[in-house]
Amino acid sequence: MIGTAQTLEHVVRGPVFYELGTRAREDMRVPARVYADDVLWGQITRDRSLEQLINVATLPGVTGCVYGMPDMHEGYGFPVGGVAAMRANDGVISPGGVGYDINCGVRLLVTELELAAVRPRLTDVVHELSRSVPSGTGRGGRLVLTDAELERVLGEGCRYLVERGLADPADLEVTEAGGSLPRADPAAVSPRARQRGRDQLGTLGSGNHFLELELVERIDDPAAAALYGLEAGHLAVLIHTGSRGLGHQVCTDYVRRMDQVMPAYGIQLPDRELACAPFASPDGRAYFGAMCAAANFAWSNRQVITARVRDAFGRVFGDAGRLRLVYDVAHNMAKLEEHGGELLVVHRKGATRAFGPSHPETPARYRSVGQPVFIPGSMGTASYVLAGTDAALTLSFGSACHGAGRAMSRHAAKRAKSGAEVRRELEAQGIVVRCPSSGELAEEAPMAYKDVERVVDVVHAAGLARRVARLRPVGVVKG
Amino acid sequence: MEPSHELLGHTAEVRLRVRGADLGAVLTEAGRGLAAIQLGGRLPRASGEWRSLEVRAPDREALLVDWLNELVYMAEVERWVPVDFEVEEARDTVVRARGRGIRVTETPSKVKAATHHALAIRDVPEGLEAEVILDV
Repeated sequence: MIGTAQTLEHVVRGPVFYELGTRAREDMRVPARVYADDVLWGQITRDRSLEQLINVATLPGVTGCVYGMPDMHEGYGFPVGGVAAMRANDGVISPGGVGYDINCGVRLLVTELELAAVRPRLTDVVHELSRSVPSGTGRGGRLVLTDAELERVLGEGCRYLVERGLADPADLEVTEAGGSLPRADPAAVSPRARQRGRDQLGTLGSGNHFLELELVERIDDPAAAALYGLEAGHLAVLIHTGSRGLGHQVCTDYVRRMDQVMPAYGIQLPDRELACAPFASPDGRAYFGAMCAAANFAWSNRQVITARVRDAFGRVFGDAGRLRLVYDVAHNMAKLEEHGGELLVVHRKGATRAFGPSHPETPARYRSVGQPVFIPGSMGTASYVLAGTDAALTLSFGSACHGAGRAMSRHAAKRAKSGAEVRRELEAQGIVVRCPSSGELAEEAPMAYKDVERVVDVVHAAGLARRVARLRPVGVVKG
Repeated sequence: MEPSHELLGHTAEVRLRVRGADLGAVLTEAGRGLAAIQLGGRLPRASGEWRSLEVRAPDREALLVDWLNELVYMAEVERWVPVDFEVEEARDTVVRARGRGIRVTETPSKVKAATHHALAIRDVPEGLEAEVILDV
């Protein structure tokens, strides 16, 4: 556990952040700043996340400041909700700084359906979705790939899926990086990773992954909402999943490889899970190529699920059930980005990009307002759509948080409330729930998460992103 | 020392603590703890044939991580979850064992990987105690 009293005496408090200077621990190379209010700060200091963020501040080549987002909580290696940038020329890349679920992310689709009109068919559509989008288990819906097809998914991502009729070219325009990273190197992905991913394209996975139907409940920024296609009272769909077993195995493979090569680079770390290598080294380049390939797989996974969701909506609502993709954002990635004229490897672990109107990677159609940022709550609480800001570039390397953030362990959540109780409570709110495991439902209960309203307030007040719309769940499919 | 495993608190992941008289017992119990998580808390009676397992790693702690990651891989790719183990050889850098378990129709995808964060194997009066965090 963090030496709270010792470390916290070095904390400087800002308007919506808490900052630890490099004197807090002698091996820190840069300061650590956490965006939080008093309550969130109190939650953050109760687990090991601050200690983990300080560990990140010791990595070779780290620059500027390391950042904790308002949803920060204890992870492994990096905290979840941690952002750190390393110089590309002499800094490191760390697989543990990206995490096992490479390019886990969220995408939002909007419909022209008004919830009030389709409420009687809500159960039907949730049922169709649970049948069409498997959790990764023995049920149908997934795409089993040949070796050649998997190679193309790894190398080309969503561009390949356009050819397969599973993506519309318009989808790629509103997917981060067009759903295809050109530096992907499929040859750097091991046979084991390929084996784990072969039959998992189009599957949700378990844990906190979900597919949710949302009501667009409130518009805070009409201009941005109009540009994003959000209209109050309409039905929308949020999809949260990642690179599945393929990404997990890529991380496993490269944490082991980095762990073994670090001595040759003279790297010593406070935490073995931060295993890393210079970005410019053969080991660093190999991981980056494999990570980009796994990211292509993850975008393709969310795209195949999108195709299944569109089919399901078509079966239930016919032509009226059309779904338009608003955006797809990644939240477990290391990206090569230019900041202040310097090329950096920006690690975002449980944190998402929040680029503003001026950034060249903000999709052309959103240049007047900034890229969409999604902050999902939990199954029974609101989710938010925000818009990235130009200010975020200097405040957080253009980053915002990726969710409400866990406040309670899975074990404690299960002890506090049974899956049946959680299901009853959600249904009492009019939320249709499909989840094969009561245990998983209990682990993901709304009370296990921080207050999403408070988290979003901090993001907005800090200027990392600004509120656009509030969504409320009306249907939940869990993996 | 009676071999045992238990789950400790962690905000987001699963912290697994195992105890055993020696390294072989620790690895056995870690495998059983992993199976219990993958199978939703229950440890069914094993059936079918014994299968050989062999893992090599640079040191004792890495061996525990790689052993668990081997079992995660087998569960996901082969849909086979071993619950009984007979360790034939366990040294700091190698474990050779046999496993017997169950076939599952649905891939147990709950555990993504075993991690090196806060990883420890300690000598305790009657044997060894290990802690490992699993990404779930």
